[in-house]
Amino acid sequence: MELQKFQYDNKIVKMFAYATILWGLVGMLAGLLAALQLVIPALNFNLPYTTFGRVRPIHTNAIIFAFVGNGIFMGVYYSLQRLLKARMFSDLLSKIHFWGWQLIIVLAAITLVLGYTTGKEYAELEWPIDILITLIWVVFGWNMFGTILRRRERHLYVAIWFYIATFVTVAMLHIVNSIEIPVSFWKSYSWYAGVQDALVQWWYGHNAVAFFLTTPYLGLMYYFLPKAANRPVYSYRLSIIHFWALIFIYIWAGPHHLLYTATPDWAQSLGVVFSVMLIAPSWGGMINGLLTLRGAWDRVRDNVELKFLVVAVTAYGMATFEGPLLSLKNVNAISHFTDWTIAHVHVGALGWNGFLTFGILYWLIPRLFQIKLYSEKLANMHFWIGTLGIVIYAVPLYWAGFMQSSMWKDFTPEGQLKWQFMHTVTKMMPFYIARSIGGTLYLVGAVMMTYNLIKTIKAGSFKEVDEDSAPALTSEYQAHSKDHWHRWIERKPVQLMVVSLIVVAIGGIIEFVPAFLVKSNIPTIASVKPYTPLELQGRDIYVREGCYTCHSQMIRPFRSETARYGEYSKAGEFVYDHPFQWGSKRTGPDLARIGGKYPDSWHYNHMYDPSSMAPNSIMPSYPWLLEDKIDANSTMAKIKAMKRLGVPYPDGFENIALADMENQAKEIAASLEKDGIKTLPDKEIIALIAYLQRLGKDIKAENLKAVK
Amino acid sequence: MKKLKPLYLFFIAGFFPLQSFCQNATANNSSYFSNPLFNTMLAVILFLAIIILSLSTVIKNVADSDFLNKKIKKDNEGSGNSLKAGATILFILSSLTAFSQNTNSNDSWAIGGLDSFTFYFMLSIILLEALVLGLMFYQFKFLLRNHVAEQKAKEAKETDIFAGLTGAVPVELEESILMDHDYDGIKELDNDLPPWWKYGFYLTIIVAVIYIYNYHFSENGALQIKEYETEMAQAKLEVEEYMKNASNMVDENTVTLINDAAQLEAAKEAYITSCAACHGRAGEGGVGPNLADEYWLHGGSIQEVFKSIKYGWVEKGMKAWKEDLSPMQIAQVTSFIMNLKGTNPPNGKAPQGDLYTEKGITVSDTLKISSDSLSALPMKDTLK
Repeated sequence: MELQKFQYDNKIVKMFAYATILWGLVGMLAGLLAALQLVIPALNFNLPYTTFGRVRPIHTNAIIFAFVGNGIFMGVYYSLQRLLKARMFSDLLSKIHFWGWQLIIVLAAITLVLGYTTGKEYAELEWPIDILITLIWVVFGWNMFGTILRRRERHLYVAIWFYIATFVTVAMLHIVNSIEIPVSFWKSYSWYAGVQDALVQWWYGHNAVAFFLTTPYLGLMYYFLPKAANRPVYSYRLSIIHFWALIFIYIWAGPHHLLYTATPDWAQSLGVVFSVMLIAPSWGGMINGLLTLRGAWDRVRDNVELKFLVVAVTAYGMATFEGPLLSLKNVNAISHFTDWTIAHVHVGALGWNGFLTFGILYWLIPRLFQIKLYSEKLANMHFWIGTLGIVIYAVPLYWAGFMQSSMWKDFTPEGQLKWQFMHTVTKMMPFYIARSIGGTLYLVGAVMMTYNLIKTIKAGSFKEVDEDSAPALTSEYQAHSKDHWHRWIERKPVQLMVVSLIVVAIGGIIEFVPAFLVKSNIPTIASVKPYTPLELQGRDIYVREGCYTCHSQMIRPFRSETARYGEYSKAGEFVYDHPFQWGSKRTGPDLARIGGKYPDSWHYNHMYDPSSMAPNSIMPSYPWLLEDKIDANSTMAKIKAMKRLGVPYPDGFENIALADMENQAKEIAASLEKDGIKTLPDKEIIALIAYLQRLGKDIKAENLKAVK
Repeated sequence: MKKLKPLYLFFIAGFFPLQSFCQNATANNSSYFSNPLFNTMLAVILFLAIIILSLSTVIKNVADSDFLNKKIKKDNEGSGNSLKAGATILFILSSLTAFSQNTNSNDSWAIGGLDSFTFYFMLSIILLEALVLGLMFYQFKFLLRNHVAEQKAKEAKETDIFAGLTGAVPVELEESILMDHDYDGIKELDNDLPPWWKYGFYLTIIVAVIYIYNYHFSENGALQIKEYETEMAQAKLEVEEYMKNASNMVDENTVTLINDAAQLEAAKEAYITSCAACHGRAGEGGVGPNLADEYWLHGGSIQEVFKSIKYGWVEKGMKAWKEDLSPMQIAQVTSFIMNLKGTNPPNGKAPQGDLYTEKGITVSDTLKISSDSLSALPMKDTLK
């Protein structure tokens, strides 16, 4: 058989590696800033661009899509070529993919700083960027499949199954969750509302973790771990079972982010049981990784990249065991809305994604630059300081979360809540400080790595291509009779993709279709009315400032919550909420029924200087809301968009919306004046007050009626 | 492997008695499954059962690896014992049903919300499991010691523990299961699935089915709203029970002025945390009305002020504090506020509402009505 000579493109790998390092540092720095803002509110700098509500989405987006995203592409472009014995399908597509992805990141950073956001966690980017992401993702898939189809290796290795599943599932998640109606170039409303929006969003959010942070990284693990350890993969059969079980079961588990909320009980229960069933498939990956090291543990001792990989895989095991635990309703009742969740995700992000990326970089860069690592010692220091950082980050937050939750739930024997919300915030301070220290250590480690790698790169000489040779695939293939049945699909990439898509689509379809079609899932409440134009403008400000990053709008049916916040939230209350704003973290109190609790002037003073109304508050100040004018011109378009989404405003309401808005604004300005605050009715603060004063009131009115 | 199957089946069977157990429990309007202690103990029982199960595999494997010599006897004994132990536990579990019917009539809830019978019963299962585990460990050690004596010391030990836990082929023999796969130099072994992993996976699937059945088909499990109602009813009972014996009770009908300095000091602290943001640190007013003058929107008698704090005037932005402050605290804060009268703090807000004099006469009844609307104006402007 004739051997064909060909080359692997290392240049694109190098570019993605550089981007990974750069965005990793940026993302971690943003995270550190956000962490410090919780301790020192002055670090919000009284500027719209640097408040926590905008920094936090920048941190999460930068880490997930910029750091881990580029890390995925770095690893995929390196391993894919070698596993398929083929150069990337098209250098042009590789370049478009690289620069397109960096453009998305830069646009994301700019728009998030400016407050252009959809208000859906991990999917904050506005519709033009959503479209760009879709296009670039297709370019990635095209390039990958082009390479697969030109391969010289008959069967696809398990890493590539994971890459393919990642590609189709992320495409599906991104498109379904991003369906929105544009109002203007940088503003859109989610097509879904309330409970449905929550179900779709957490189906997306949970599986962004699954198919962006987990499956591609499992693929990378399956390549780089056996490579670095020079050992055969422990069990082929385990790979098969854990791959299919993982992608099938993961999709269903989304509703475990919505336990005890207004989502239907059956959806919550599905979320619980599929999370429980997820333990074994997740651990399958960890076991296969760790047992691959059988007989090579002595090498782990003196090989720094193996150390990183081992801790990464172990952190993966811990996080995926904790995840199902947190999905049990009685555990979730304690952990949800607290820093426990933050600790949990950081074990995954810092341990699994971070350390795996570092391990790969330490392995890859010296190979690309044909030289030994500049300093093994420094890399070992990075390993220890990073591990220490993770521990110092996570342990205090676990404690903090548990403690805060217990305080929220504490009652005196007389039946009063024992702690004001502010008490529980003040108690968090030492833990927030410790967490910042842990994060700083981790970042210092990353800086040390950057220095180490730059020194290595400077000393080495880059090898643009690697040469290899292999015979071309013949069109005729006779399968061995002894072959494992699964070998069939490993020869058929297109079928593998289609079957993966079917497998991952099932869970979503079964959970969504009833939630959308069956009326009884979201019982209507007659007294719940659409937002007035002013309230809608206020709501958009609420979304823009990222209030949902610290405040929930979901009162769970617990005594401790109904005593603190009022009647528990009902599904029917959110039918006009495009997007839903339930939130996932209570750094501040729940706002679902804040309406009418305080006077307008309280809100005015509070937004200007939170600690004046709530001593010891760590909320940032929002002075610009007192100065900036409401974007009155957009009112008509917003009402029109809402009508298109099915919000029942009367016919022709868009034409009188502006007048309606001005009237309501004047009323609020008048009420403020009574308390000695003189302000013009066209300020943003007026709209925000209107929205806050409306929250949760519809159902209060009904209750009053019921009493009479 | 085959020998394990009966044990495994027993294990599944063990769940069904539990099912009916919980049916009985719901007759009392609260499922055992909603009790955290019960869940925890159940989890411990299941967890130990899994360990027993996998350890029996280990023992079997270790014993098996000696199958050519005399240890074969011990092998049978080993897994036989664990089988028996497992079966015993499950039979005991199934007898739970019968017992629970007798105990349910008893309303006394003792330990952590569980009746003492259930608690001690589950505790004894856990202890029994622990005992079995201990015995198995002893047996395992014994087996291993014999084994080690015969073969090369360290190597064999590691390999066999591994082999037992994972069902793996030893590293030295892995050539035999090396597949013909080669991807960029990466090869794959054809090791079996680790048994504990496989059975653990099956177990989670069984748990899932039972969970869904319990909550959505048999409807024994309390879903969130029912759970909430139970929690509220329970809390109400507890508070009522406490109130019966509490001496420091006070309400809007019985409240009197407190002069005790220590209590007023406590009241000041509560005032600063909860009230000062709106009413000013010295009661001068701000977002909320001035508390140091003689004008009141909702009445200035001690009873009326107590009521305003307790129930709030929510539509005007005055929060109801009855969930945050105890009745005694409200009484203290009320007294503190009553004492503010006439202190004339600087920057006092203009008076609002009606003049309240010591005799308790409100100046105008008509104004009282108008002051209830949002557009209440300062008293001075509207007073004829």
